[in-house]
Amino acid sequence: MSAGFLTVAAGGPPARSPLAEGSHRGAELEERDGWMVVASYGDAEGESRARREAVGWADLSHLPKAELSGAGTWIGSPAEGLATPRGDGWSCPLTPRRALLVGDTGAPPEGATLDLTSSLGAISIVGPEARETIARFCALDTRAAVMPPFGFRPGSIARTPGYLLRAGEEAFLLIFGAAYGAYMWEVVADAGSRLGGRPVGAAALTPALPAPRQEVTTDA
Amino acid sequence: MSRLAATPGERIDRSRPLGFSFDGKPVTGYEGDTIVSALYADGRRVFSRSFKYHRPRGELCGCGQCANSLVDVDGSPGVRACGEPARAGMTVTHLNAWPSLEHDVMSATDRFGGRFTQVGFYYKTFIRPRRLWPVYEKVLRRAAGLGRLRERQDEREWETEYRRRHCDVLVIGGGVAGLAAAVRAAELGADVVLCDEDVEPGGALLFEGGQERARELADQARAAGVEVLTRAAAIGTFDDLVPVVQGSVLHQVRAARTIVAAGAIQQPLVFGDNDLPGIMLSGGARRLGALYGVAPGKAAVVATVDDRGLDDALALVAMGVEVRAVADLRPEVPGGPAARLREAGVEVLGGLTPVRGHGRRALEAVTVARPRGGGERRIDCDLLAVSAGAAPALSLALQGGARAAYDGARAAFRLTDLPAGMFAAGAAAGFDDRESAERSGLLAGAEAAASLGRHHPRLREEQVRLGGERPEPLVATPPAWAGEGGKAFVDLDEDVTVKDVKQAVAEGFESLELSKRYTTVTMGPSQGRFSQLPSARLIAAETGLDLETVGLTTARPPWTSVPLGVLAGRPFEAAKRSPVHARHRELGASVRWAGDWMRAYDYGDAEAETRAVHEAAGIIDVSTLGKLIVRGPEAGELLDRLYPNRISNLAPGRIRYGVLLTDAARITDDGTICRLDEETFYVTTTSSGAGAVEQWFTWWLADWGLDATVTDVTQGLAAINVAGPRVREVLARVTDLDVGKEAFPYLDAKQAKVGGVECLLLRIGFVGELGYEIHCAGAHGQALWDALADAGAELGVRPFGLEPQRVLRLEKQHIIVGQDTDSESTPYVAAMPWIVKLDKEQEFIGRWALEQRRGEAPPLELVGFRCADGKVPAEGSVVLGDDGTPAGEVTSARFSAKVDAVIGMARVPNELAADGARISISDGGQRIEAVVTKEPFFDPEGEVLRG
Repeated sequence: MSAGFLTVAAGGPPARSPLAEGSHRGAELEERDGWMVVASYGDAEGESRARREAVGWADLSHLPKAELSGAGTWIGSPAEGLATPRGDGWSCPLTPRRALLVGDTGAPPEGATLDLTSSLGAISIVGPEARETIARFCALDTRAAVMPPFGFRPGSIARTPGYLLRAGEEAFLLIFGAAYGAYMWEVVADAGSRLGGRPVGAAALTPALPAPRQEVTTDA
Repeated sequence: MSRLAATPGERIDRSRPLGFSFDGKPVTGYEGDTIVSALYADGRRVFSRSFKYHRPRGELCGCGQCANSLVDVDGSPGVRACGEPARAGMTVTHLNAWPSLEHDVMSATDRFGGRFTQVGFYYKTFIRPRRLWPVYEKVLRRAAGLGRLRERQDEREWETEYRRRHCDVLVIGGGVAGLAAAVRAAELGADVVLCDEDVEPGGALLFEGGQERARELADQARAAGVEVLTRAAAIGTFDDLVPVVQGSVLHQVRAARTIVAAGAIQQPLVFGDNDLPGIMLSGGARRLGALYGVAPGKAAVVATVDDRGLDDALALVAMGVEVRAVADLRPEVPGGPAARLREAGVEVLGGLTPVRGHGRRALEAVTVARPRGGGERRIDCDLLAVSAGAAPALSLALQGGARAAYDGARAAFRLTDLPAGMFAAGAAAGFDDRESAERSGLLAGAEAAASLGRHHPRLREEQVRLGGERPEPLVATPPAWAGEGGKAFVDLDEDVTVKDVKQAVAEGFESLELSKRYTTVTMGPSQGRFSQLPSARLIAAETGLDLETVGLTTARPPWTSVPLGVLAGRPFEAAKRSPVHARHRELGASVRWAGDWMRAYDYGDAEAETRAVHEAAGIIDVSTLGKLIVRGPEAGELLDRLYPNRISNLAPGRIRYGVLLTDAARITDDGTICRLDEETFYVTTTSSGAGAVEQWFTWWLADWGLDATVTDVTQGLAAINVAGPRVREVLARVTDLDVGKEAFPYLDAKQAKVGGVECLLLRIGFVGELGYEIHCAGAHGQALWDALADAGAELGVRPFGLEPQRVLRLEKQHIIVGQDTDSESTPYVAAMPWIVKLDKEQEFIGRWALEQRRGEAPPLELVGFRCADGKVPAEGSVVLGDDGTPAGEVTSARFSAKVDAVIGMARVPNELAADGARISISDGGQRIEAVVTKEPFFDPEGEVLRG
């Protein structure tokens, strides 16, 4: 036996995001890699504008997430607080012997992995008001001088344990316990809507969340 | 509406009138007015009544810091009318007077209160007879307070936002010093936030003729990138956090450096009837004229101890107020402003101070005299503008760890030591005049930036220069009080008089801290801004101590009063929800908190749900169970050291029950351990214990240095328990796995697809019936639930909630850790000695303590019981010993339809822990008789469970 029951298996019923109670409301859904993903909320142009001019947030809980443990070059240094791009994902160091792999990183050359995709919810927050939105529920310092793109911080996210990854200048990824999904969606929506933002689907999000392979300059 | 001629610096926009009501009468003001300035222009001088004596009170400070003009605005009491901008359509009413502001019944306490209003009266009177306190309390509560909150509120009044803001430098105070500091620090590259309580930064510059400079500095600050927060009060300093309240936004500012530039607070003078409407601070009078175009009076007397009062007198003259005299306490009034006053025809009287205000409802005249008597003069006036020196606003600095000492030359306390990371500028640093205050701000900004590695090339030069230019102010120390007769108030907020403080000292409350608690001096809404220095002075005079010895009271937040709604934050609760939560809602579940989870308590009929489990099958969402993956070459060794039984010899695909113990062998949690493969174990814990168990495992793992990892997957897995006699029929419809007794025996685990979902099936049963606990990725949880529910629909399967589960497990005498165990429960007490394997070769947590008790009968033992008369004892009820004294405790009790009796579990004395023993339970005075049953009430042999 293995811990395969942790993983969303191909061919089964579509996987449902832990945020679905909130994020699927009014959404147009499509199936991607076995998950029901929000394509849009019916106004792709408005959603793109929101994330360009204010802030947009999207349920990205379907992003693969795994714990990597053991020794190895992929772990990185937690002291630096920076995620390392790996494939189409990031390796985010937690301790000298553990890292959180986010996105499609491919298989690490060494160490053991454990699938945490279902254990952790994820919300991407993008746009010029992204930092202000996060500041409404999170005390982590997101100034570029302190947390440049690819910065990664474990910390309290809306009073729950979680992680914050800065994917780009104006793009962040909140990662948190899946059981808090509905709560977290409510919190982010409350904060973002006060700043002129709205929830967005994957279509509006894609250009704003840079793939890790991209070069990203810091505004530090 | 009477206004002065327009001036360049005024804040009102005369082209934009606005209307609101005060006590039901219409008032017209202008955009930019405060409530008080609009009411002043309308001819009103009284806005509320005082706290204790219900004396009419007029304006004092003119800037939102005093409690003299507290009003109710649109149903919210406690609003400071002198700082609150007037808004069109607002409804303003007075506070603390009935039936009207003009005629207040409770003002009788002022005239006839006598001994009933002296300090300490409540403490001494209402402590006896004790039984009457509820009556006293009712009456006192009705009489006390400053306004009434609405009793019903359908919606949250405060749409509060929390905003976290990190910065390099926080500047508290937007006067000339604060602005200069912010500009300098920002120009050196620091990320700067400045907060100021006023509607625009500039401080005293705005009404002392420096408005152009103020706006220039503010523009410079913004251009340099400073985030300027206006109408934003810093309410405290908490280590690295300064909360700043701005309307309904609470900025939680975390700054690497803090510059305190909060300015100084002009002080009142203490003399008889010093609270009459018309007596106000000279700075406040000047603000009214300069910012709002309102004449604070027609005929004025100015009383001062420093040049500030003289400057203010000149300003009053300039705005057209007839200043009949200036009483300056300094015998030799310095030239400059005094000469200009004399040139303007104002009589300047040296060595005099007010000793009595006159007037019934408002000031009509003032008597000035020498403090020790003599030289009395009565001068008719409707305005007495006072300046008893300026006390630097130190509270925020002191809260942050600064220290202060009394400065006789300034007749005020000043900062002496600042904690690391804190800087001071302006009046807080002892620089009172405009030019030196600005330079001190520039220097503080440069020093703060330099401490962050952003150096200013001429820092040392500026330090030297400023160090040499701190001018000694010419201030006379105001008397602790002056004159006789009338009520001389030391604290206008709380109506504390000179007599009160004297009496407190006479009764032994000689320290400022004790006197404060006895008299409530400094405890009002203005947080001692206008009463701390006068009360310290009075105690010094009464005790003969010097002011340095008397000191200040401990500075505590909030420095500015703040609605509780602002602190409450957004109305969201961090609830954990199972992946199946939405389905439970749709099924009509009654959802309740269970630890930090929201869980289905029942689906409307707990009894029918229980019956369904016994007669067909039931499904329950147990996703809340803690779940850990323990993996690595030494994972088995780790678990052997953590559990009192053997784990490492568990075969892959097998399950074992385990309890976790403290060093003292007390049970802290329980659950199952399933071995998935040689190096991987799947551990479940109680729902509420997951976090603690993970920490416990991780802590010991770090200590022992074993080659294993522990990962909490609680929130990643859904878990559904399906149990009941027809469970195999249900599963046969959704899985190809052979779930028969031989192929899938009790305590076995298997992986298989159920309803198309990859699952781990555990053959265990908390509820006693034949059951399977099915675990899968949370993202498939709802699909799995639906598959099981659909498959079982025709078979009578129904969902069941927590309450039926509690009944079912009680029938089986399965314990709930924390409910049936307490902090003293060992496995021996919990009737599970079989789980302790002292012959195990490994050391394990709790072993030593268990060895000490080996072979001993525990003093208490957990047993089942059945009640004879059908009464259900409350959990926590007392089990009585033979002599009728408390000897044990009921831990669980329910009525079980299956058993057709009230059943329960209790910790009872060892001698009663025997089948058939009779126990008496005392439940709130009611006696319930019960019989001990050590065997499970349902399926005692375990045939059903293992079947």
